[in-house]
Amino acid sequence: MTPSYLARRFFHALFVLWLSATLAFIALQLTPGDPAQALLAASGATADQVAARRERLGLDDPWLVQYLRYISDLARGNLGYSWLHGRPVGRMVLEQLLPTAELALAATAVGVALGLGLGVLAAVRQGTWVDVAATAVAAVGLSTPTYWSGLLAILFFSLQLCRFPAGGEGGLRHLVLPAAVLGFALSGSIARMVRARVAEVLGAPFVLAARARGLGARRVLLVHVLRAAVGPALAVTALQFGFLLGGAVITESVFARRGLGRLAVEAILWQDLPVVRGVILVGAVAYVLVNWAADVLQAWLDPRLWEERV
Amino acid sequence: MRRFTILFALLVAIIPACAARPGDRLVYGLTLAPSGIDPHVNASSELGIPLTAVYDTLVYQDLSCNCFVAGLAERWEVSDDGLVYTFYLRQDIVFHDGIPFDAEAVRYNLERITSDDLASQKARFMLGPYDHAEVVDDYTIRIYLGEPFTPLLDALSQVYLGMASPAALAEWGEEYQLHQVGTGPYIFAEYVPGDHLLLRRNPDYAWGPEIYANETAQVEEIEFRFFVDPATRSPALETGEVQVMGEIPPQDASRLSESDDFAIVPAAVPGVSLMLFMNTARPPLDDVLVRQALLYGTDRQAIVTAIFADTSPVAYGPLAAATLGYEPAVQGMYPYNAERAADLLERAGWSDSDGDGIRDREGEPLVLDLYLMSWGYMPEIGQMAAAQWRAIGVDTVSQVVSYPEALSIASEGTHHLIPFTLSGSDPDILRKFFHSQALFNWSGVNDPEMDFWLEEAAQLGDRQQRVALYSRVQRQVMQQALVIPIRDYVNLNGISRRVQGLRFDAQGWFPQLIDVTLEDR
Amino acid sequence: MIEWVAPRRRPLPRQPITLLALAWLLLVVAVAALAPLLPVADPQAIDSLHALQPPGIAHVLGTDFLGRDILARLLWGGRWTLQMGGLALSLAIGIGLPLGLAAGSGGGRVDALLMRLVDAWLAFPPLLLAMAVVAILGTGLVSVAVAVGIAAVPPYARVARSIAREVRAQPYIEAAWSIGCSPWRIAVRHVFPNALPSLVAFTATQLGWLLLNGAALNFLGLGAPLGVPEWGSMLAEGRGYLRAAPWASGFPGLALTLTVLAANLVGDGLQEALG
Repeated sequence: MTPSYLARRFFHALFVLWLSATLAFIALQLTPGDPAQALLAASGATADQVAARRERLGLDDPWLVQYLRYISDLARGNLGYSWLHGRPVGRMVLEQLLPTAELALAATAVGVALGLGLGVLAAVRQGTWVDVAATAVAAVGLSTPTYWSGLLAILFFSLQLCRFPAGGEGGLRHLVLPAAVLGFALSGSIARMVRARVAEVLGAPFVLAARARGLGARRVLLVHVLRAAVGPALAVTALQFGFLLGGAVITESVFARRGLGRLAVEAILWQDLPVVRGVILVGAVAYVLVNWAADVLQAWLDPRLWEERV
Repeated sequence: MRRFTILFALLVAIIPACAARPGDRLVYGLTLAPSGIDPHVNASSELGIPLTAVYDTLVYQDLSCNCFVAGLAERWEVSDDGLVYTFYLRQDIVFHDGIPFDAEAVRYNLERITSDDLASQKARFMLGPYDHAEVVDDYTIRIYLGEPFTPLLDALSQVYLGMASPAALAEWGEEYQLHQVGTGPYIFAEYVPGDHLLLRRNPDYAWGPEIYANETAQVEEIEFRFFVDPATRSPALETGEVQVMGEIPPQDASRLSESDDFAIVPAAVPGVSLMLFMNTARPPLDDVLVRQALLYGTDRQAIVTAIFADTSPVAYGPLAAATLGYEPAVQGMYPYNAERAADLLERAGWSDSDGDGIRDREGEPLVLDLYLMSWGYMPEIGQMAAAQWRAIGVDTVSQVVSYPEALSIASEGTHHLIPFTLSGSDPDILRKFFHSQALFNWSGVNDPEMDFWLEEAAQLGDRQQRVALYSRVQRQVMQQALVIPIRDYVNLNGISRRVQGLRFDAQGWFPQLIDVTLEDR
Repeated sequence: MIEWVAPRRRPLPRQPITLLALAWLLLVVAVAALAPLLPVADPQAIDSLHALQPPGIAHVLGTDFLGRDILARLLWGGRWTLQMGGLALSLAIGIGLPLGLAAGSGGGRVDALLMRLVDAWLAFPPLLLAMAVVAILGTGLVSVAVAVGIAAVPPYARVARSIAREVRAQPYIEAAWSIGCSPWRIAVRHVFPNALPSLVAFTATQLGWLLLNGAALNFLGLGAPLGVPEWGSMLAEGRGYLRAAPWASGFPGLALTLTVLAANLVGDGLQEALG
């Protein structure tokens, strides 16, 4: 891990940040609607008062001026105030980061465990009913929207069995259902990738050689096959991270949890530019970190990928 | 495999089942995590549900006499020209932080609300032509207006103009909404944005208005949680996680009301009914015959039955029946009559000449652009109404849009029909929709006579004269067929039968939490 | 206890499960294509007097909250869902695959630049990106497909790249390098064919994702145009009536799951056949 490698990584991260912030800005500019009008119309403000607010928010300035202001604020770490909430964006985002991270981590744990299990099971029993069953479970995970599975989980585990709370936060019990539902959805794609990869590895010469040397099936599976399978599982997880951040909005809604996803959806619907920017910033930073971690882990698991880094 | 099954069974057994909470803590489910809860800044109705118990207002609205009664102000005077309001304040009131309430506090609050820096989204505009406030002595305050504005008392009776502790406002600044301090029956104890809000009983409260039955609050703590997804509201109530839940979906409400453990407390919300605005500035809706045909061709009862399970009243005019100045004469107008609708369309020159089931005139088919927002059952209503109009030969192209987009479409006037609803206890709310300069003039109305009535009624001090003008406005709106009213808003609150005394104030949205009790069971 | 079946190449005709899955997919496609000719009720006809009827003789799969026939909506709904999924998938593959393979096989500066673009793209949560696109383009088949498809490009590019790079790291590619094969030739002749099995698996997965994301848009009220039958919106509308009328969301849910399952099984089968 040389300093120049770290520096390059850092500039990559900055570049990604700038690019996503710019994309967010363009997207919001293209969205029809006037944020100032949306904020005030229902309160009985006059057209003049709305115009005054629009000017105050800087919405009358040319695009380029707005963009430069936006980027320079971002560069100075000034996230500004939410137009809708009237609070500092930095604090709002930080408040929502923890519960989102909690759900994302728990769901990832469920998803990876379940995905690895199903994927390996399906691969080693390729073509049998076990494979079909594991694939079917993965397909249910893949195709069942969390707004539906989440509600089913609430009706069954909360209302019928009375075991887990239907919503809210507060300790592990509240986390079980949302993490299971979101993790299950995540496990589907992990299982599919793992199955494909393991099936490939099972036929690879080194595995056959290991078998030929008389190593037990369980040992070969643990040493060679799982090692090969973890890589793709990690890659899929890392790139589903965005899904966890944004897709969690549905799980958050169903299970009455707060989080970044809900904050972001609200900000997009109300065109609350400062909050959108704040969420993008946090999302991009988190994404860069997670993928960096995944890359390092993957390289560690497969040293051949390591050489070109150093 | 069996080991896992046993383990799982054990796990399930260990975790405690649903347990009833003790009687000193009530959990109240709200529907939206409000976007900011500073009542002076933010605009949502949800914020008022908890905060009406945290703040007191200068005056209160008494539903039994439809009049204003003393609050923080024990009495008040309005000058003959309607420009100066003098409030004489009670002298025994202290904020939750121990600071006495006085005229200077009122001035400080009004100053804050009207300052440009606060960027208020609602409170500022409720004050209308407010000019400035003057402290006459320690317990007398005068509010000066630029022109007469009768809805001022209505505004001052709402939580958005509740009185906050100047010391707390100064101390917390931009983060005040997490540390609110008022004078009400409940103390703002804790707020975790998006997750929960906790109120604690104020033991010193002794200055409640006469509309409160109790002197102090009966429940030690009330916790508010936010249930965004309508389908999960009833389950949260049934598992005992909450004891009160707002906005239960109608299909769940009918089941709950038949249960022994739960009940439904419906609260009629005054204001502008949910209605489809017809854009009179865009052909073919510039023709009153076509608009009337759409009204006759809309089976409102069927819509209310299918979508609202008959839990809310059919609306016949622009104002909900629970609103002051509601004109009952609109009730007989435009009963569902598809033949009459077809007849009117024929008279307007629209007939189905090519036999495709859609009427046309001079080769142009009768197609209307319908824009819907995704909340408030608008998509469901839109689908049903469109099917009914199809039966009279009118086709629609419908699209779901966001609120900001709906506003911009409507201000450009490229719509034919958009539904909307808004709550408010004063009939002046009509001015937001039917004045030619109004932002919500989605009907594209430009009627100098109506403008005059609306402006005049906002300034008249005499209630009967006001009501007479608003009656005219309502009749005119319906005679001109500017809107298709669908239903009055009714908030279906689900409660556990342990909860007693849940009543709502004149706004329909805000509970009088001081009178709520929670029985042990 | 662990005893795996050694993977072997099996031609399609020798895989009964894959054939069954393929038959289901073909059936769904055929029904979607022929929906206008099928003797079913009008999927958009509202009959509020017969709302939430359980499955029976008049309505084989029951009716929804507006009294519309669920069977008819299911049959017609596949049309929309498949078109949306197909369009979005081709968009994701059409952009993502070349992008990822180019980056992965090319390496160096090309890789760095392309991947930063993909990173910025990916740093956007896909659902939010889709929401933004629908907010700009409006609701409708094409805009939902574009929204969902665009959001699916970066995972595609990432996976294609990571597979390509892994293949590139194999000794035989290094050998190809050393004897002076051009990068392009290596990509087309060696990297792509070797990456194909993993890509096929990923595509099957991706179909599920696309349908799921499309369905999520429905939940947020931004999906199919109003009243148009579509499996995701049927699920979203029916879930409010899950207790009174489980059939209203159960059947579309089942259709969605079976179709994704079939696509996965066909993907597996193809992989085995091509192996």
